Amino acid sequence: MGQVSLTGLIMGRWGSDQQFDFFKEYVRNGMAGIVTCRWGFGFLNWAGIAMKKLRIAVFSLLFLVYGAPAYGALSIDITKGGLQPLPIALSDFVDLSPDGTASPQGTSGHRINEVVTADLERSGLFKPLDPATFLQTPVELWQQGPNFRGWRLIGADAVVSGAVHEKDGKLIADFFLHDVYQGSLVGKGKRFTAPVRDWRHVAHRIADEIYTRLTGESGYFTSRIAFVANKGDMKWLALMDQDGANRVDLTRDRTIVLTPRFAPAGEQLFYLSYERGPPRIFRWDLYTGKRTIQGDYPGLNSAPAWSPDGRSMAVTLSMDGNSEIYLRDIHGGGLRRLTENSAIDTSPSFSPDGSQIVFNSDRGGSPQIYVMDAADGGNVRRLTFEGSYNAAPCWSPRGDYIAYVSGGGGRFRISVIDPKGQNSRALTDSWMDESPTWSPNGRVILFSRQAGSQTRLYTVDLTGHNERLVSLDDDLNGSDPSWSPLIR
Amino acid sequence: MKRLVTIFITVLFLGTLAGCGAVPNEGPGDGASSQAGGGVGGDGSSVGRPGGYGSNLDDPNGTGGMRGEMGRLVHFDFNSAMLTAEGEEILAYNARQLSKTSGRIQVEGHCDERGTREYNLALGQQRADAAARYLISQGIDASRIKTISYGKERPLVRGHEDQSWAQNRRAEVVPQ
Repeated sequence: MGQVSLTGLIMGRWGSDQQFDFFKEYVRNGMAGIVTCRWGFGFLNWAGIAMKKLRIAVFSLLFLVYGAPAYGALSIDITKGGLQPLPIALSDFVDLSPDGTASPQGTSGHRINEVVTADLERSGLFKPLDPATFLQTPVELWQQGPNFRGWRLIGADAVVSGAVHEKDGKLIADFFLHDVYQGSLVGKGKRFTAPVRDWRHVAHRIADEIYTRLTGESGYFTSRIAFVANKGDMKWLALMDQDGANRVDLTRDRTIVLTPRFAPAGEQLFYLSYERGPPRIFRWDLYTGKRTIQGDYPGLNSAPAWSPDGRSMAVTLSMDGNSEIYLRDIHGGGLRRLTENSAIDTSPSFSPDGSQIVFNSDRGGSPQIYVMDAADGGNVRRLTFEGSYNAAPCWSPRGDYIAYVSGGGGRFRISVIDPKGQNSRALTDSWMDESPTWSPNGRVILFSRQAGSQTRLYTVDLTGHNERLVSLDDDLNGSDPSWSPLIR
Repeated sequence: MKRLVTIFITVLFLGTLAGCGAVPNEGPGDGASSQAGGGVGGDGSSVGRPGGYGSNLDDPNGTGGMRGEMGRLVHFDFNSAMLTAEGEEILAYNARQLSKTSGRIQVEGHCDERGTREYNLALGQQRADAAARYLISQGIDASRIKTISYGKERPLVRGHEDQSWAQNRRAEVVPQ
C-alpha cells in the first residue's frame, strides 16, 4: 500500500452528519418509506405517497412536541467523581433494507451498538443495561417508539433507538435519545452518513452525541491516539482510534522513535527520531505522508510542542551548552530562546490560548513545574513545591488544569494542578506512570504505565476515578501517547 | 522470538565464561555486546549496548576491570550529571588513550528507567556533555567529539532495581 493511500486511510475525512427535522427530511428525499412506523403513528405509512403532505404536517407537529431539548430532566454532572453511572438502554440499531423494512440478516446495527456501548461504558459515566432484560425488541422500539413504562421497569433512565441502512456505498445511521422519566426525546433525531468502511466512526459519533446531550460537554470518542508501539527490540510510531481499534503502523524499523505530538488540528504529528544518528524532530503530514525535519541543531533536539494556532513550536535544544526551551516557526524562521540558566529546561506545553508555556526545570535543585510567558519567556512562576520530582507537564485543552508526573517514595504518579499552582492531586498510584495527554474535552487523561518490562496505555478521569487499560492488539507495549483533537 | 531467547541465553553463558571480556553478539541490534563482570541485576537481565571499542579497553562497564585496564564508561548518581572522582579518573585514562589516535568519538549519555522520557533525554545530554567537556579539558580536540543522549532508551542492563539502575546511569566513550 502506497504512502499516500495509507495516510489517506489514516486521516481520511469521515462523512457528514446532519441535525434536522428528521421526518421532513426523509420526505423531501423521497425516503419516507424507510421509517415505517413511529410512535404509534404507523398508520400513516399505509397511506403511502398520497399522504405525504399530511405526513409533513403531522411530523412537524410531532417535532414541536418531541423535538425540543429536554432541559432540566436527564443530565450527568461530569465534574463529580465517583458518581453513579447513568443507566442507559442501548438497543441494537435496526438494519433496514432499501425498501425500508427491517432486515433481520443485517449486522451493521449490532456492530454499531457494540461500539457505542463500549464507548459509553468506558467513560465511566454510563451503565449500559443488559439487553437480555429489554422488554421491547430493537424493531419494536424503532417502529413503535419506546414503551416508557417498560423501560422504567428495568431501571433505564435513557433509551437509544436507531436504525441503519446503506445507500451508494454509504452507511446512514439515524438515532434518537429518549428520556425515560419525562417520556420525551432528548434533542432531535440525528443522522450520520459515512463510507461503509468507517462504520466505527459513525458509532463513535453517535456515542459523542449521547455523551454531549447528557453531560452538556463535548464528547471525545471520535479521536485518535498516536503512540510508540513496542515489541521485542522494535519500537515504532502508530496511530489508532481512542478505543484501541484501527491501528495503523507508521514506521517499523530499528530506529528509536519517541514522543509523537498531534497538531492542534490533528492532521500532523511532531515526533522525535534517531534516524539521522542524533535525535531530531520531524513533522509528519498525515494527509500527504510528507515528512519534514524541524531543524538540525547541534546536540539534543527534543520535546516538540505545538502552539495552539499550529504555526509555531516550542522545542528543547542543548546547543547553547545546556537544555533550554526555544520558540521556532514550524517552517523554520525566527528561533527565539525562552529560558536561560544552567539547569535543565524541557517538556514545554502551551496554554490553550497560546499565551503561556508550562515546562519542566530543575533550576531549583530538583525537577519542578514552572510557567512562563510564551512570547519572551518572562514572568516565570514555579507551580509545584511538593515532592522532589515533578515533570512532563501537559496543559489541558480546557485550560483549567495541568497534568504532570509526580515522583516520590519510589513511585511516579499522574497528577494535576491548576495554573495558579493550587489544587494539586495525584490521580494514579503506580511504580512508573508517565506521558500524560488530555482527551479533547479535557476530562480524561491518557498515560503510559510501566510495570517491569511491560508498558501499557491507561486512561483515568480528571476526578481520579475510572482508571482503564487501553487494550492493544498483538500484546503490544504502548508508550508516549498523544491524544488527537476531535476528528470530524 | 525463540531465536532471540536462544541468542540471549548463549550470550549470557558466553559472558559468564569470559569473565571480564566483552563478547560479540550476533543477534539483532546495532552490534550489542554482552556485559559481564559488573554484576548483572538480580533477575539475570539481558543486556544491550553499542559495542566495538578497541581491544585495549576490554572491560565494557568500566567497574570490574583488571588493574590498569580502565573502561570507557563512567557512572552517575541518580538525577545527577556531575562527574564522580572515579568518573574523572576513567575519563582521564580515556583521554590518554585517545591522544594516541586521531579518530572521532561519540560520547553517549544514558539514564536509568525512572523519571520522564523528556527529562531523561535532557539529563542524558548533560551527562554526555559533562564527559565530553572533561575529555576536552584533558587535551582532546573538541572537533573530534560528538555527543548524543539516549535518555532511558538504551539501558545497559534490564533489571528494575538499584543495582541495575546504577549501571544504567552512565556516559560512554565510543570511538567512531
